[in-house]
Amino acid sequence: MKRNPIAPKYLALLLLAAPLAFSACKKDKEEPKPADDNELITTVVYTLEAPAGSTAPAVSITWEDRDGDGGAAPVVTGGTAGRLTLQRNTLYTGSILLLDRTKTPADTISNEVADEADQHLFVYQTTPAGLLNIVRTDRDTNRLEVGLETTATAPAAGTGSLKITLRHQPPMANGTRIKDGTFGPGDTDVAADFPVTVQ
Amino acid sequence: MHLHLLWPAGLPGGRRWATGRGIRPARPTRRLAGRAFAPHFFWLTGLLVALAASQLPGTARAQAAPAGGAGSTSGAAGTANAACTLALAGRISDHETRDLLPGATARLLETGEVSPADALGNYHFHVCPGVYRLEISFVSYRTETVEVRVSSSTVRNFQLHPDAVALGGAVVRAARMAAPTTLATNTLNGAALQATRGQALGEALLKVSGVTAIQTGPSVFKPMIHGLHSNRVTLLNNGVRQEGQQWGQDHGPELDPFVASNLSVVKGAAAVRYGADAIGGVILAEPAALPDTAGLSGEAHLVGMSNSRLGAASGTVQGGSRRLPGLAVRAVGTVRRAGLAAAPGYRIANSGLAEYNYAATLGYQRDRWGAEVFFSQYNAQIGLYPLPENARAAQTDVPRVAQDFTYVLSRGYQDLQHSLLKISGFYRLGGGYGRLALTLARQWDYRGEYDKFRPRNANIAAKNLPELDYRNLTTTAELRWELPIRRTPAGELGGELGLSGTYQNNTYRPGSRYFMPFYTGQALGAYGIGRWRPRAAWLLEAGLRLDRRHLNTRRPTLPGGVFTVVEDDFAFFTPAASLGTVLEAGPHLSLRADASVLRRAPAPNERASQGVHGGIYEEGYDITRPPGTAPLAPETAQGLSLTATLHDNPRFNGEITLYQTQFEGYIYQTPVPEVLTIRGLFPSFRYQQTDARFRGLDVLATARLLPGLVLGLKAATVVERDLSRDDYLILAPADRAEAWLRYELPLRPATATAGTPTPGPARFSGFYAQAGPQAVARQTRIPRPENGQDYQAPPPGYVLLNAEAGAVFGAATRYPLRIGLSATNLLDVAYRDYLNRYRYYLDELGRNLTLRLMLRF
Repeated sequence: MKRNPIAPKYLALLLLAAPLAFSACKKDKEEPKPADDNELITTVVYTLEAPAGSTAPAVSITWEDRDGDGGAAPVVTGGTAGRLTLQRNTLYTGSILLLDRTKTPADTISNEVADEADQHLFVYQTTPAGLLNIVRTDRDTNRLEVGLETTATAPAAGTGSLKITLRHQPPMANGTRIKDGTFGPGDTDVAADFPVTVQ
Repeated sequence: MHLHLLWPAGLPGGRRWATGRGIRPARPTRRLAGRAFAPHFFWLTGLLVALAASQLPGTARAQAAPAGGAGSTSGAAGTANAACTLALAGRISDHETRDLLPGATARLLETGEVSPADALGNYHFHVCPGVYRLEISFVSYRTETVEVRVSSSTVRNFQLHPDAVALGGAVVRAARMAAPTTLATNTLNGAALQATRGQALGEALLKVSGVTAIQTGPSVFKPMIHGLHSNRVTLLNNGVRQEGQQWGQDHGPELDPFVASNLSVVKGAAAVRYGADAIGGVILAEPAALPDTAGLSGEAHLVGMSNSRLGAASGTVQGGSRRLPGLAVRAVGTVRRAGLAAAPGYRIANSGLAEYNYAATLGYQRDRWGAEVFFSQYNAQIGLYPLPENARAAQTDVPRVAQDFTYVLSRGYQDLQHSLLKISGFYRLGGGYGRLALTLARQWDYRGEYDKFRPRNANIAAKNLPELDYRNLTTTAELRWELPIRRTPAGELGGELGLSGTYQNNTYRPGSRYFMPFYTGQALGAYGIGRWRPRAAWLLEAGLRLDRRHLNTRRPTLPGGVFTVVEDDFAFFTPAASLGTVLEAGPHLSLRADASVLRRAPAPNERASQGVHGGIYEEGYDITRPPGTAPLAPETAQGLSLTATLHDNPRFNGEITLYQTQFEGYIYQTPVPEVLTIRGLFPSFRYQQTDARFRGLDVLATARLLPGLVLGLKAATVVERDLSRDDYLILAPADRAEAWLRYELPLRPATATAGTPTPGPARFSGFYAQAGPQAVARQTRIPRPENGQDYQAPPPGYVLLNAEAGAVFGAATRYPLRIGLSATNLLDVAYRDYLNRYRYYLDELGRNLTLRLMLRF
């Protein structure tokens, strides 16, 4: 076959030109930015107020993981040396505070939860079961419990733990509500364990 | 001339229908035979290679000719009784020059058997007595067909005439990226590849002995070669190193296997040629060469699977230009969709996938140069099983929500896009200076990972953006100079020199979550490979490579809740050296040995990944390394591998590979106590470094018991030791073995009395059926608890029964249709596999029936 003497030149041109197509590399160094606001709940505070006239003190206990997943382990502070210490047979009034303390000032996430109460459910579970009787006292627009506000009583002395779980139960893409007052639907946004002592 | 040393992938060519026998050990030239599934296409392509080559001065023809015992695979129709082992053999040479023609093809028209001529131009068959028509063809020569009566062993030599007419349309084909010949290399192509269509790449490769995969649920497979994976296995997608898939073990290779006509696995350290990461091996996904003739051709695939109701369709259309010879195009499109997969007894939640891919190639080739533009894009959404929130409780009692079948993907999925633009060209320098090849490529890799949970903030949730949202942009360039073969009194000398560069930038969407750092990586490398062939049957190869790698990482931290960016710089020289040899110890025995030493710089994920990702917490070594200790250092590997291959025997064939890889500073992931986060406990893994030694053995053997009936056996074992702790390493593939009985419909030759054999186009040919058990033992070689306690003991061993059958309808017509039916886990056994990351929670797939149709046009 006849060789085309021009062809190699075209090829050479093409090969030389090709890197130009690739030369648009960004040289400026980009840096990571903080994740969207909603991404972090660093702090869970559970506060229990004794009724007026009771001798029992108010108790507040905090579960906190300020550096996010991994890194330093979460710590529980407050209460009595990191234990939620309650008097038996006392009707406490409880409330939950969720904070993002990576922001200054801290962002109160529980306000967001209150705004979308129809998509959220706090679940209180003790080990052993019945260590505390915690009743959710607030309701969302659909008359389903939420659990930002609670009452708590302890029938007998003992020790164990309390797990507070926030279930996020947003409607499905087609608008169907999934929140039905039970733990099942949705996902967990918060799962915090607190040691408990009942005196 | 044996220039095939430079061109081990050589000439495509065997016109061998319906003799695919599953996986064969691929010697460099064996790949040739395997392409046979595309007879016209490849044959013509082969024609062009040699045509073009034949016009070049000196070395050209030999370049096109793969020599060295290009074997038929002992032929589907070979029969084992004494009467059917008559040798029909001879030598093929050039009528004018008397040069031998290694790579020429001898074909028995009656049986379809093919024997490519070996280095000395010899072909041979084992046949029954009878009359055969023997067709001898070779690129740029006139095909000859003669009738041979065989009543005893017969020698028939041929002298082919150069075909002046055929020279008219000469086009040079770019050489394929050649697999190193001194390492065991297995290729899936033709019928064996067809039997994997519809599967993910990593799943398809499980057919190769010594290859396993780290699974994440039923649809994500990360290939593992000899127990090594992720950053130690290089994947070459059409000659370009696939980037972006090294971030995690839950990342399957982002490429469409339908684009490839050959999937090759190089087992062992091939770092000199492919870069320092190729410690465990190399996977090459190679498309066929572009068509050379005018007119349209192509193939269409349809695959259906019963288990997940997976449907896949893929089409390839290609054609050459009539007006501008040498110009050719190809387009490939694939869609794949699957619903929930089923383990025995239940559907696996959110295990569907949706995928669409396309690729296009435009090539132009002249006799001395050629250029090609290739673009491909892979798009996939892969559902991830929603891992239970309390990891520890879930492992003992899996709360499994009843699932009805659905194709709908819910949250907890990967959303992937990988695009590759490749521009390549070559130029023959002429005058005995060899060939230059340049490849420039850019890859865009987007990886979105949707968490199972949705953002709490309704406004953000409404945007429905992935919580992990990574972008990886990689630009690579490679220049290779393939040196011509020089004949010296001491033998033939050849080799290649190469330069390569990579620039990579990895970021994530502002507002999305950190898992991998921002990073910028640069690598510059140079290598040289020398090949010496002191005798025709003996090849020695030595290679040296040096890379300079620079890595800059920027990662966010929240010490005490304050957002801070930590920047680190790392720079390493990573040298690699190898020495290997191939000895054709006889016409049926090849021996290989390869030794190498190399260094690998730690990858960004090994250093600085952190976070929960798909329900598993992972952490790079540098994140929480003990104060005062050094960051992760490069690992050094010394590899040694020995392979013996018995091939082209009428009865018994096989391959055995023995290997050892010794690491200083082996980087691996080990379980750590579950990390407690605001969402609960997650199984947690951390990278660390130790000295290690891998030793293993792969065996493949086939024995022809009766005419058409073959017994096959495949087995692999690897022992991974942690030398620093005198213990085993975690996540080593368990010992496994597979046996099968395969029946291929013998194609009877015309009887001796018929006089005029009339083979005619068979309406139904190439039938095969095989069935056999596959056994995997319980992994008992696990670390002691103090050295990384796994969350559960390895699952028990299991035995599965698999079966497969296929045939071609209208093989000789314009539209051959190949039908295949396969069944895995026929007995619907419930089992778990140690290499599945969801082994704590999920069983593997139950019974799966697959129907595959392929129409060629």
